[in-house]
Amino acid sequence: MTTPTPRLGLSLAAVTEQSMPGIGHRFDLPADDGAAVVVVLHHSGRRDLYVVAAGNDEPRASVTLSDSQARTLGAILAGAYFKPAIAEEIEAVVGGLLIDWVTLRADSPGAGQSIAALAIRRRTGMTVAAILRDHQATVAPEPTEVLHPGDQLVILGRREDLAGFVHHVVG
Amino acid sequence: MGDELVALGGALVAAGLLARLGRRVGLPTIPFFMFAGILFGPNTPGIELVEHPEELELLAAVGLIMLLFHLGLEFSLGDLVSGGRRLLGAGAVYLALNIGGGLLFGLALGWGVAEAFVIAGAVGISSSAIVTKLVTELRRLANPETKLILGIIVVEDIFLALYLAALQPILGDAQGAGEAVAQFLTAAVFLVTLASVARWGARTVGRLLASPDDELLTVGFVGLAVLVAGAAEKLGVSDAIGAFMVGLILAESPVAERIDRLVLPLRDTFAAVFFFAFGLSIDPSAIGGVIGAVAAAVALSFVLNVLAGVIAARAHGFKRSAAANIGLTILGRGEFSLILASLAVAAGLDARIGPFVALYVLVLAVVGPLLAAHSRLVGDRLPKRWA
Repeated sequence: MTTPTPRLGLSLAAVTEQSMPGIGHRFDLPADDGAAVVVVLHHSGRRDLYVVAAGNDEPRASVTLSDSQARTLGAILAGAYFKPAIAEEIEAVVGGLLIDWVTLRADSPGAGQSIAALAIRRRTGMTVAAILRDHQATVAPEPTEVLHPGDQLVILGRREDLAGFVHHVVG
Repeated sequence: MGDELVALGGALVAAGLLARLGRRVGLPTIPFFMFAGILFGPNTPGIELVEHPEELELLAAVGLIMLLFHLGLEFSLGDLVSGGRRLLGAGAVYLALNIGGGLLFGLALGWGVAEAFVIAGAVGISSSAIVTKLVTELRRLANPETKLILGIIVVEDIFLALYLAALQPILGDAQGAGEAVAQFLTAAVFLVTLASVARWGARTVGRLLASPDDELLTVGFVGLAVLVAGAAEKLGVSDAIGAFMVGLILAESPVAERIDRLVLPLRDTFAAVFFFAFGLSIDPSAIGGVIGAVAAAVALSFVLNVLAGVIAARAHGFKRSAAANIGLTILGRGEFSLILASLAVAAGLDARIGPFVALYVLVLAVVGPLLAAHSRLVGDRLPKRWA
């Protein structure tokens, strides 16, 4: 497993975000061949997806998706449907609530400690909703539950608390 | 009571159905709401849904308040500044050409100076609603010039608010210079007070209104908007400006985003009543007398918009096609033209203004989107050395 990195907003270098007054937000993702994918998130929840060819002003193709269609497409693109194993890359934000997956390493500060000893909820504001260990899920673990290296934690909380959690538990 | 309810329900159903027909062929909704008012009002033969237009007066006023409240709420200094100086420049050039041209045109009509100022605003300020809808539906959101179009719209929205405030003394009913000065001073004090609240007290007002409950929040902000609008109207500042200022104040509060979401259905419903009610005030028999003026105004707007588009495109190094897209998209006229016209009608200015703006908006409602969709035809005819 690779190091889980907290993904706060779209800090991926390649993506640029612009606000479109009266419409919503625009995200530009350059593709390798000089083309670009432009995603417009409307305030209404509607999504427009444009494909712009290199050196061309007019889009080559465009499609409009509803909120739920867009989420489905996003999950497919993220590999969530086909390969759940890389679920640690998935992060969902619903109405300010963030759901994320993190994996503990052997040298993570949280490894070998119990949830109570780490005082996760008090110290970080996040909640461990479930632990995935050896393909077994423990939903709503007891505070006495000791975290192991390799554990996948499903965590809930506010987006702004994620960084603190990663620092405190994952390292 | 039954009569009023039938009038209101009938107005909304008629406006909705007519606008639906328009949407089928890609035409904007606002002018059709008004058109429904003309068709089903007391001035035309056939079905007469509303015998007494004053029955809709109060709800139409709420529509105007919601429109301006939402405009204030959407106002963002950040949007204005982030676009940079070139964007501001494009907006300024657009306004200078179109408001300046509109003012000269209004004076040339010879209907009066106050009338000329109203006409300048009505033919010079684009409709944010129609323009944003057009760029979305023509699938031009990814085009480079779209950012510029939206920037010009932002500049225009702010200008509209200032213009409404500046028009107030012209539209006011002051008798003599003393009263006019007194009115102007009251208005200035009122506006400065509200602006100070927006600057320093927005969080406090936000806290007073903030409730995790959507129901309570809605009751709160609607009440505040209508109350301040009413107070503004009583002080001679115009309800529109009062509502705009409340929007501006709440835009800075932590609940701004939720209000933005909650106000939309209210705004859409009551604004439709407002446009319909304006249509009711139009006597179609008066339209014959303004056809020439409208034709000239449409031609003028077309030329000045394309010119503004070319200037903006040149400044940004865009192609001719982008210049045509800019000019022909921001040609959309709607809510702001109708707001200005309704203020002029209420102030008792030259009676020709109502039919003039109504016909002007209707013509552009049909011609504008067609031109924008086929902007290539215009772009290809622009001289090559222009862009």
